[in-house]
Formats: sequence, structure tokens, C-alpha cells
Amino acid sequence: MRDQIYKYTGKLLADRSACADGIAFAAQDDVLITAGAPELAALAGATLSRLNSLALVAARPTLPFADFLIARAGQGEECIVPQDTETRTFLHDIPFLRRKDLADDPAPVLAKLLGNRKGVIVEGVGIVAVGAITVEQAFINYSSVFHSTFVKYLQDLLVDGFRLPGEREAFDSFRRDWLRPLSASGLDFVDALSLEKDEILAEIERVGRYTVERGLVDSFFGNISAVAGERIYISQTAASLDELKGCIDPVPADNSSTTGITASSELLAHRKIYEQTGARVILHGHPKFSVVMSMLCDRKAECVIKDCWKDCPHVRDLGGTPVVAGEIGAGGLAKRVPPVIGASGSAIVYGHGVFTLGRAGFGEAFAAMVDVENFCREEYFRRMNR
Amino acid sequence: MYGWTGKLLHVDLTRGTCERREIPTDILHAYLGGRGLGVRLMRDYFRLGPFEPDLPLIFAVGPLCGTNSPTAARLSCVSRSPLTGTIYDCSAGGRFAWRMKAAGLDAVFITGKSPKPVFLSIDPARDELHPAQSLWGKGVKETVAALSDHGSVTTIGPAGENGVLFANIMMGEGNSIGRGGLGAVMGAKGLKAITTQGDGVTGIADKERFDAARGDVMRLFRASPVIFGGLGIAEYGTPALVDLMAQRRMAPTENFRSTFFADSGNYSGPAIRKECGAKKEGCYGCPIQCKKASAAGEALPEYETVNHFGALNGISDLHAIVKANSLCNELGLDTISAAATLSAFGEARGRFPDAAEVASLLADIAYRHDQGELLSLGSRRMAEILGRPELSMSVKSLELPAYDPRGAYGMALAYVTSNRGGCHLRAYPISHEILRKPVPTDRFSFSGKARIIKIAEDVNAAVDSLVACKFAFFGATLEEYGELLSAVTGIEYGPESLKAIGERIYLTERFYNCANGFSHDHDTLPHRFFEEAGSAGEGIDVPPIDLARFEEELQKYYRIRGLDEEGRFGDRDLLAELP
Repeated sequence: MRDQIYKYTGKLLADRSACADGIAFAAQDDVLITAGAPELAALAGATLSRLNSLALVAARPTLPFADFLIARAGQGEECIVPQDTETRTFLHDIPFLRRKDLADDPAPVLAKLLGNRKGVIVEGVGIVAVGAITVEQAFINYSSVFHSTFVKYLQDLLVDGFRLPGEREAFDSFRRDWLRPLSASGLDFVDALSLEKDEILAEIERVGRYTVERGLVDSFFGNISAVAGERIYISQTAASLDELKGCIDPVPADNSSTTGITASSELLAHRKIYEQTGARVILHGHPKFSVVMSMLCDRKAECVIKDCWKDCPHVRDLGGTPVVAGEIGAGGLAKRVPPVIGASGSAIVYGHGVFTLGRAGFGEAFAAMVDVENFCREEYFRRMNR
Repeated sequence: MYGWTGKLLHVDLTRGTCERREIPTDILHAYLGGRGLGVRLMRDYFRLGPFEPDLPLIFAVGPLCGTNSPTAARLSCVSRSPLTGTIYDCSAGGRFAWRMKAAGLDAVFITGKSPKPVFLSIDPARDELHPAQSLWGKGVKETVAALSDHGSVTTIGPAGENGVLFANIMMGEGNSIGRGGLGAVMGAKGLKAITTQGDGVTGIADKERFDAARGDVMRLFRASPVIFGGLGIAEYGTPALVDLMAQRRMAPTENFRSTFFADSGNYSGPAIRKECGAKKEGCYGCPIQCKKASAAGEALPEYETVNHFGALNGISDLHAIVKANSLCNELGLDTISAAATLSAFGEARGRFPDAAEVASLLADIAYRHDQGELLSLGSRRMAEILGRPELSMSVKSLELPAYDPRGAYGMALAYVTSNRGGCHLRAYPISHEILRKPVPTDRFSFSGKARIIKIAEDVNAAVDSLVACKFAFFGATLEEYGELLSAVTGIEYGPESLKAIGERIYLTERFYNCANGFSHDHDTLPHRFFEEAGSAGEGIDVPPIDLARFEEELQKYYRIRGLDEEGRFGDRDLLAELP
């Protein structure tokens, strides 16, 4: 398990979601092991030993957004309820502990909260997330909480502005120091993807790594596919996009085999997009500014629809990219994305992420996703500056 | 009280009495229902032999039954297995569970032995035993049809009447209480069938919270490729696994001599749909509807059944496999154990049964004619009698299902730690080792598997006590089901408290088994898996399992469970510690 801890510590550093000196893991097989920053490691171990789970990560995020969300929460509130798809589907809500409510030993109360939820925010300490059966799962849940608080904080700022001392400075620092220019430059793509299986698999694996490295998706979520004749090659469900070797399913178009039962939950959406657009490849990521901006709507005040994320029938527009509602998997996403994505080559799903197409290869799809996210990023800051 | 009725029907077949009694509330809260409640109610009886009249046969529903909680209109049947000798439970769907709850009962507790065949009718107005001499000897369909005026029916077929050690109790809608031979326990009591009808409603403490939790569950179902994906079990039923297991080189073939069957495509999910016109069917109120029926309404076989009547016996004819499944359903035989016993028999005599012979052998088993007398004992006893004990591919006498342990090391460990013997549904590591839910694990590694199996056993003991379907957990988790339970009962439950309940149930079962002589010696796989390789191919190597590494992980599992090196409890009196 130590190799797993080492691996996922590296991932937290690579995606810059946790501070280098503020990461700790605990894992238990027949004995409990802890590793990382001493105080956090002690907390992680004390908490995990109270849980019937395998692993736990306690880490200090590189951004103070989660702490700001707690500070902005009303008296008596005990959890944050982001509106993005990740939270809605997998987290439901994110409980928090305020600094003032922390006892000398926060482990028992933390264990109690983690007994009901995958991740918890502890003000001034960080995000603590549990993995029921693997170390990777703890990492995934940390990532999900980080992603969801990132999105919610930026969303809340657009609505309510800065309300706390230090918020503006932290936000400026985030914009200046944390964010990096986003581009596809320096990346190599096969211009026109052949029908050769080996080339397709290698290209999907490579693009998966690019997508994670450029921050267009957390490593766990998102999916990628390419079509070759009567076969779709698609990343598997629960696959990390930066580790796709051996995790790409070939799915026959005529459903003559069910081997692809392990394919991404978005297989149906990919299949229909191919049927309606003639594209060769599809890239799906969760770039954060696109997620934030997809949930903005001018009509919210007067609209009768409350579950906008799945029920909104309107096609909105973000810089030429259509924005539609839709649930993941067997929900409406597979119905709403295919009709709109062909014209622009990209589409955003409410609170969820971006789909882009390549007519010949992944270069076009990757560039399109970069463009969508850059537009949303610029548009976000333009609105914040108003 | 919300969720539970608080009532148990005590039936004494020796005296011919039916009496409704209270179940202590703290027992319900601590064991939930289904498997947990049944296991708790066995506390004073677990040392009795499977065919002793005083041994209870218990049917128990859960607190979610009667609500529209997804997949929860189920019950568990609990007793002691005549096949394995272990404490035994099995979960089953169908309308029976829902109607039993609606008749005002959390459990039916049946003891004694009737001097003449009877059936039990459960009704909110009157619970009653009736003569069933005219039904004795009848098949399942005919019995269900004869009793349909009484509501939902569960019955045994000839196999249960004749004491076949792997006889099922069949639900009228085609579901079965399978594997461990509880049909034979019911038959030994002279109880042919039970009927139930009721129109009661299960109250929900917090409807708004319930609706939100249900929405969360359904959202996760839709996000799960295994459940609602285009290639998932809602579309193709569990035979959707046929192609996957073939590709992964872990489809048990010819009595587990190999792990790949070239003709498995003949009975894959798509093949069954094409050949049999498979349409959706399933348990009452279940949104998944994973069971499939032919255009004529004939129940079509599940994954384990198609593999075992198929690859395990070297049979590629889909229609012969469907016929074998239908025959088992009609006779009240467990399909997995029946097919695996035939396969072991085939290897012992040097020739696997062909499609035509399978049908006649199944009938012989149910009526214990000719070779059927030997085969009715299950593979372990049969192989021992034939002098080839190594050919029984079983754990604790329960025949292994269609997941070769050489292809998934968590599954290897789970088979041996299962309290009811070689069963895939206790820890169910196929979920993460093959189907990647909730996250993937390395199927060819034991690393971390002892802890993973322990946790999963606890989780699934809770699931079996809710009583929900395992397939729901290809998408949802105890987080969402804890919310459903809290909303229904008004009592706060969450994943951790549910796992604690599951652990209590698991350990109780293990304690019962240890008291009846089970220990480390019984926690092992057939030698074949440690000595012979599976079928390599498509870049996948399937070597024998490393016995030393397996044993190391098993000992780790014991330590995590708080057991000694023999897998026992030492001087600890577990039952004295528990509610």
C-alpha cells in the first residue's frame, strides 16, 4: 500500500490540488500505516482506525476556496451543497467542521462525519476523504471535493462577490499565480487517425495523459473514444485518463458482444454523436471554468424549471458552444448533446463538462476543448471585473 | 414504528399452530431484517441438524420492503443448509416478499414437522395450515397455479420433497431461494408451499427525504454502465457477463479444467436476445428488470446457469441450456449446483453429459432415480463416493459459480471466507475486480484484498438485511441506501453504522459455523486452482494461484476479523456480546 500512497501523493502534487507539505495518507490492511505530513498523518490514522474502510487522505488544498465557503456559510449550516454534477451524483453534499468546533482530538467527530459521506472539509486543516476499498478511491474523493468546492466558490463569487477579508487578495493570487495559461501547444497528435487498433489505442492513451496534464479533467473522470469502422474504442468506466493502458474497450457497433459492459457510462452518448456527426474521435473532460459558466443562466429568476441540470430544454450559448442540460449515463445527456455538437464541434453539459469532436484526429478535439475552456475562463473574469 | 411491522408469524408444523408474536424493537434496529433478522432468530437453534424438525426455516423481509425503494421488495430465507452444514441464507425477489410485508409481517418462523403434507396461507385476517396431499409430487408450475387464488406462492418441487441436497424453494414469479438446499429443509417439514396476500402499507417517516434519496439512487443507476448502460444487465440480463468473462479468460469450462469456452458466444446476452426474443422481466417493483423471459414467457437462464450448463459441461446448444434451466425451475433444483455436479460426474466418468442426457439426469436427480440418487447428494459427497474427491469444485460443499478464482484473486479469497460456502455473492469482488465498481482493483493481485473482502462482506450482510439487491450496488452505495433507511424508519443510519450491523451479522454466522466444527481447514479452494493453470489468451496469462500467498492473505483476513490462526474465536463468547 505504500507504493499506492506514494503514487497518489504524486498525483495530488501533479494536479496542484494539495500543498506539498500538507499531504498525508492512512491505510489499513491487517495493520494501520500512515505517511506524509506528521500532524495530518496522525489525524488521518486516528480517523481511519475508527472506520470500516481501507484508506483515507487528509490534505491541505492549494487554494483556500473550501475554507472561504465555510466562512461564507450561514450560522447553523453544516454542509456545502454545490450544484455541479460531480456533487449531485456522487457526493450529494459536503459536510464541514468549523475551526471553532474542533476539539483537541477531532478524529472521533471526523470519523462520524466520514461514516456518512465520502469527504469532509475541516476549516483550517483541509479536505479529508475516505476510500472504502482502495487508496485510489480516497484520492478520487479528495479530487471530487476539491473540484466541487472550486466550482462552487467561483460560482458564488459571481453571484455575491467578495464578502470576507482576504478573499479578493486570495482570488487575485489564484488568478495570477495558480492559474496557468491553457493551450495545446507543444503537444503531438496524429493528424489523421488510421483504422489500426494499435495506433488508436496509443493515441487515446496519449491524449488521456494530455487531458489530465493540462488540467482539463481530474484524472479519474472524463472519457475518450475513437471510432474505426464498425467499432468504437472507448475508455472504461472509472478509468483514470492518464492511465488508460489496458483500460480501453472495443465495442462493436451492432452490439453483437457485451464485452463493453465495462465501457464508460457515456458510451451511448459517444455512439449517438458518431451516428449523427461522422466524427472520428470524441473527447470529454470537466474543465472547471466551463462547468462554472454552464450553470449561469439569465432566466433563472423567472423560469419555472427548478432542476435545470436535467430538465432545461433550452440550448444556450457560450462563445459559440451550445450548452445543454442532461444527466450522465442513461440520462438525457445522450439525447441532448448529439443534435447540437455537430455544428460547432463542441458542447457543454450543464454543471458537468465539455464534449468536443475531431473529424480526423484528436488534435482538433483537444484544441476545441482548450478554446472552450479559455473562452469560459475569460468570460468568467470579464464578468467578475464588471 | 415506521419501516417494520414488529410482527413475526410463528408456525409449529408439529402442533399445527400459527401464532403472531412481537419481535423486540431493539432486535429489529440491530439486525434490520432479512438475513440479519433470520440469523439472529437462529441463535437458539443453530446446532440442530438441517433435517431435525425443531430447526427453524425463516422467511424475513426488510424495513424497505413495501416502499418503492429500488430493488428492496425482497426477502431472505434462513436456516441451516443440508448441503453445506453451515448457517444459510438466500435472498429472493418476486411479489411474495412484498405481500408478506403487506400482510403485516417482518418474518415467518417455521418449526416442526407436519405428519401430512400441508401448505401455509398467510392473510391479514387469518394464518392457516391446509392439507396439501393433492399437491405433493406436483411440479412448481402446477402448484403455483393451484394456489394462485391465495395470493403469491412460494413452493418446493419434487426435488425438495425428495430431499435433494441442492433443492430450491421457488417463488411463484420465477425467482428462487437457491444454492444451499433449503427446499429440502422445507420438504422434510412436510411443507409444500406458502401463500401470502395482504394490502397493508409500509409507512415512511419522512417522505420528502425518502424521495430525495430515491432520486439519488436512480441517478447512480443511470450513471452505471453495468446497470443501465447499453450493454448492461437491464438490457441483456446477467448473461451480459458471458462475453466479458470469455474475454477475461475466467469462464469455468469442463469442470474448471480450463477457463475459456470457444462456443460461449452461442449463449451470450446478444445471442439469447436474438434466439429467444428475450424481453425484460424482473422482481416486483425493481427498476432494473435484469431477468429476461422468452416471447412465450419462459424464464431465461442467468449468467451462472448458461455458463455451467454450457462451458462447464462442454455444451454449446443454447436451447438445450434454456431447457435445462426450465427443467430445474420446474423440479425445484438449483441450477449452479446441478450443473456443477453433472460436470464433476462427467469428469469422473471421462465423459461430460451431452445436451439430451442433461435433461434425463436432472429428472433422475429430482426423483432420486438411478444415478440421480448419487447426484442428488451434490458434487462433494458424490465425488467422495466415487473415490475422486478432488473433482468436486466446491467450497464447504457448495459448488463454485461461474467466476474462475484463478482470474480474480479477491474472488478466490471471497469463496473461502463466505459463511455459506463457495458463493460469489457474499463479498462479490467481481464488482471491482472485473466490473470496475466502485473503483477497479488489480484482479491478479492479493494486495489489500483481505481488508477489501472483509469490508465487502460487512456491506453485503447489511444489504442482505435491508433486503436490497446486490446489483443495486453496481451504482448506488450504502450512503444512498442509508438515507433511504433513515427516511423510512425515522432512525439515523449511515454507511458506517450499516457496516457495523453487517459485521455483527457476519461474525454471528461465523460463530455458528465454528460451533458446528468449521475452521481453517474448510476455508480453502479445490487443489486444482493451486496446481493447474487456466486458459491463457489475448495477452492474458492465467497461472495457478500461489498457495503460499493465498494462505498469507487468508491469515491476514483472520487477523482483521479478530479470529485466531484457525479462523476461530478462541475463548470468546461472541453471542454474549451482541444484542
